[in-house]
Amino acid sequence: MTVMQQSNSGGGRGGSGSLYDVLELILDRGLVIDVFARVSLVGIEILKVDVRIVVASVDTYLRFAEACNRLDLEAGDKAPSGLTDLVGDATESGAKGKSKGALTGAVEAFSESFQKGSDRDAEPEEERRTKSSSSSSSRSSGTRRTTRRKEEEES
Amino acid sequence: MGVYVYAVTAADHPARLDGLPGVGDPAGELRTLSGGSLTAVVSEAPDELRAKRRDLAAHHAVLERLMQDGAVLPMRFGLVAEDEPSVVAALEQNAEGYTERLQQVAGCVEYNLKVSRDEDGLLRQIVRESDDVRRLNERTRQDPGAHDDRVALGELVSQEVERHKETDAAAVVERVVPLAVQHSGNAPTEKDFLNASFLVERARAEDFAEAVRAEAERRGEEYDLRLHGPLPPYSFV
Repeated sequence: MTVMQQSNSGGGRGGSGSLYDVLELILDRGLVIDVFARVSLVGIEILKVDVRIVVASVDTYLRFAEACNRLDLEAGDKAPSGLTDLVGDATESGAKGKSKGALTGAVEAFSESFQKGSDRDAEPEEERRTKSSSSSSSRSSGTRRTTRRKEEEES
Repeated sequence: MGVYVYAVTAADHPARLDGLPGVGDPAGELRTLSGGSLTAVVSEAPDELRAKRRDLAAHHAVLERLMQDGAVLPMRFGLVAEDEPSVVAALEQNAEGYTERLQQVAGCVEYNLKVSRDEDGLLRQIVRESDDVRRLNERTRQDPGAHDDRVALGELVSQEVERHKETDAAAVVERVVPLAVQHSGNAPTEKDFLNASFLVERARAEDFAEAVRAEAERRGEEYDLRLHGPLPPYSFV
């Protein structure tokens, strides 16, 4: 069991780790007034990608099967291979030669900028993967990502 | 240039904003605009606004400050009005709706709850529960060439994973929702099978957090429950 609670009685304190966890609320909830312009924010739509689309694919089936095959059925919580690792590897060496799109890269850097001082890295992995599978145009992602990250750091 | 909008409050909200930076670099100065019975908290919009950590934090901090002194309707990040008169016009045009919503969230705060489960633990449970899964798992372990069986195994497991996640999500919500006024499910992520927000009366906030703690206790080590709050009511406006 783990419970982590952020309570901000001081007002506006909240560390970056907790800000990251409420990011989707700040970006995606809240009141909208139609006549006002919404600043174009790269990557926001990625937060909304339905994970079920990714789940129902042969790639995912094979990953689950492999995870089950590797599972140490006797083990308690010391299983050797987490599914997350497996999925990550499969994406990197994916048969279809998927590569990260520019958008995805931006989000990656964006997410990372929220995680400084925090050691959590599982969530951007999911977003990156989700986007990869639906992205058809993807070029110069590396360069774009680097540039973008620099800008974030300067901020 | 434009006017960046943070929040709508009632006109009698004290809006103590001194010392807080607005979005932008240099930070925009916070001020209020009145329109009838309502107030908008705004600053000059920066020329080029992006979702940088500093700006998101500034936006969020303004709302956290405002929520300490009364009901607030938090705006979504990144809304820019053309000029001051258009903000005032928007307040006046929507006065009835905003006032009603302010009353609904008065005295309440939002809590966001994310819950994930250790994947291996879930898979172990699925293998334990299903004869078909066990059979296919054994077969594919012994025969690396059994591609069709492997796909069948994965599909079966995938369905079970989804089923368990949905059941677990509903069960967690059921445990804590009696202490909330309202709840709003956000899209689950691959990692978190539950990602939900709850509108909770301030007076019951402690009880709500306690209910989440009790649920975490009950669920045991495989589950990770992350509770965030009190937050401005982003999900309930």
